[in-house]
Amino acid sequence: MPSPLVFGVLASAAWAVTGLALLRIEASAYGRRALHAAPAGDPAAGVRYAFTGAMRPGAKESVREHLHSYVAGLAYHAGIFAALGLLVCTLVGWSPPGLVRMPVQAFLGLGALSGSSLLLKRLLQPELRGLSHPDDFVSNLLATVFVALAQIGGTVWLLSAMALLIYVPLGKLRHSVFFFVARKNLGAFFGRRGVFPPGGAHGR
Amino acid sequence: MAVDLELKLAALTEATLAKGLAVFRQHLQGAEVSYLNACVRCGLCADSCHYHRAEPELENVPARKLDHIAAVFRAHCTPAGRMLPGLVGAKRWDRDMVRAWVDAVFGRCSLCGRCSINCTIGIPMPSLFRAARRALGAMGLVPDDLQATVENSLQHGNNMAIEREEWVETLEWIEEELQAETGDPGARIPIDQQGARCLFTVNPREAKFFPLSLQASAKVFWAAGEDWTLASDAGWDLTNYALFTCEDDQAAAIVKNLTDAMTRLGCQVLVIGECGHGYQSARWMGPEWLKQAFPFPVVSILELMDEYLEEGRIHVDPTRNPHPVTLHDPCNLVRHGGISEPQRRVLRRSVSNLVEMAPKGLENYCCGGGGGQLAMGQYRHRRLKAGGIKANQIRATGARIVAAPCHNCIDQLGELNKEYQLKVQIKTVAELVAAALVTPLLAEVQP
Repeated sequence: MPSPLVFGVLASAAWAVTGLALLRIEASAYGRRALHAAPAGDPAAGVRYAFTGAMRPGAKESVREHLHSYVAGLAYHAGIFAALGLLVCTLVGWSPPGLVRMPVQAFLGLGALSGSSLLLKRLLQPELRGLSHPDDFVSNLLATVFVALAQIGGTVWLLSAMALLIYVPLGKLRHSVFFFVARKNLGAFFGRRGVFPPGGAHGR
Repeated sequence: MAVDLELKLAALTEATLAKGLAVFRQHLQGAEVSYLNACVRCGLCADSCHYHRAEPELENVPARKLDHIAAVFRAHCTPAGRMLPGLVGAKRWDRDMVRAWVDAVFGRCSLCGRCSINCTIGIPMPSLFRAARRALGAMGLVPDDLQATVENSLQHGNNMAIEREEWVETLEWIEEELQAETGDPGARIPIDQQGARCLFTVNPREAKFFPLSLQASAKVFWAAGEDWTLASDAGWDLTNYALFTCEDDQAAAIVKNLTDAMTRLGCQVLVIGECGHGYQSARWMGPEWLKQAFPFPVVSILELMDEYLEEGRIHVDPTRNPHPVTLHDPCNLVRHGGISEPQRRVLRRSVSNLVEMAPKGLENYCCGGGGGQLAMGQYRHRRLKAGGIKANQIRATGARIVAAPCHNCIDQLGELNKEYQLKVQIKTVAELVAAALVTPLLAEVQP
């Protein structure tokens, strides 16, 4: 019989997964545009490039010019995934060995630090603050607290996990699903037109 | 102009607002809904936009422009937006939001798509800006001068309302010039040549203001021995400004002029002259607007010239273009069209010194004239200011000639040339190729 806390986390996770699935289904229900123009390139190659080469600093000016934010974003997401992994371990009652725990702790520490720095950036930069909704601060705060508390674990951490999971389908954390959908569509669109990968359709 | 908009906004009825919202929702497909759910408002897209780079203010951030649209979507189409509007930034569709949409998608965007490439998530923002433009169009809020260009195409078969007689006379005059230039009385500009391999289409600006560029294209066809023709009636104008008003039915009617001319004349290949939006309209959007695949290939004249050079059908001497040349990448041709290499190969063979801009190709900046901006007089000041980024790019190359394979871009670059004192010449790629052509006949005429 799971403890009430573990049950609460599982119920929150079920809510999150169901909510995201419903959002995805709802988006799909809007339909799909039939395409008639003859392709110039390979949509699949475009999708592969969108998830790999197109995300490199060399291919993206926005990354090159904001390397700090890019690295912080990567570290933040690595921390979130590490914390989620740890949460699964905790729920199944498995304690990772020390060799695994050390890098996980490092990811969590860097993740929490990066999440905090991105939150500060959003608070302090007037333009970014103007662009933000309360959702942006709540989402960041919930995720950052979840990652930070993962380092010590315990009841408060599980409560933070519940809060985070309940919030996932409500706000911008839904990008956990729609990032992949959007990037796939971007890759397919540009792949079909021979834009991704660069030089693909008309290269010699 | 702002007064005009305010008058129109004041006249909006609830029924018109509802119609706009319905058209917006109707235009959304699964992909667009996913994009509306995906933005995390990281703000990293800000400087990818030439408007923001020229004027760093919040309203010029692509994510902000997108958020005006997403806010309405959230309020009307999502449970979270209905229940917690303050939390998620949902806003009901009212006159304030309509005003924000008009300003964002007509007044601060050239649909260049540079933000899509630079978006952390990968949101093709122009697809959503198009949905918004279409909704505004359904409410009668497309800027009048932009809509007038579309009406010209619908009524006259070309966007400058050139009558058939004037068009044919212009072609006959250019043919005489071509014969004098080549020294070949057989050098022709064929009109309505039944069964010709290629149907060539041009921007009406070439007939009105840039006959030399049309003459240059004709000279290249002549040198290559191409079997080509122009149409005398509707079907010679490659432009389609409904790409920018986003009214798909009108866009379909305009592109049908081209497919009808292909059928009427029995041609095999539709050749699009140097025009970015014309290429995107005919090559990529046309089949979608008409909801059918074209039974013929649509190619850019850039691809054709590249082939001629590769196959040895034409020969060029780059020393005939001795001055440094830089290349402008039109967004609709390169980022949205996939044509970035043919023009480079052509120019590397045809000019002595090709100096690339930084950044270039897929990452190149919009000149500022895209998205119908050139046809929207009320935003001229912003357009020229945003074009300052392109002016700086050109100046940094030290080039004396800018090759621009797009007549809309040429217009904007011409204005930037004056505004920013660039002191450059702006030419099409065909003009540079034509100047470098080497044929025995030309050697006699131009020793």
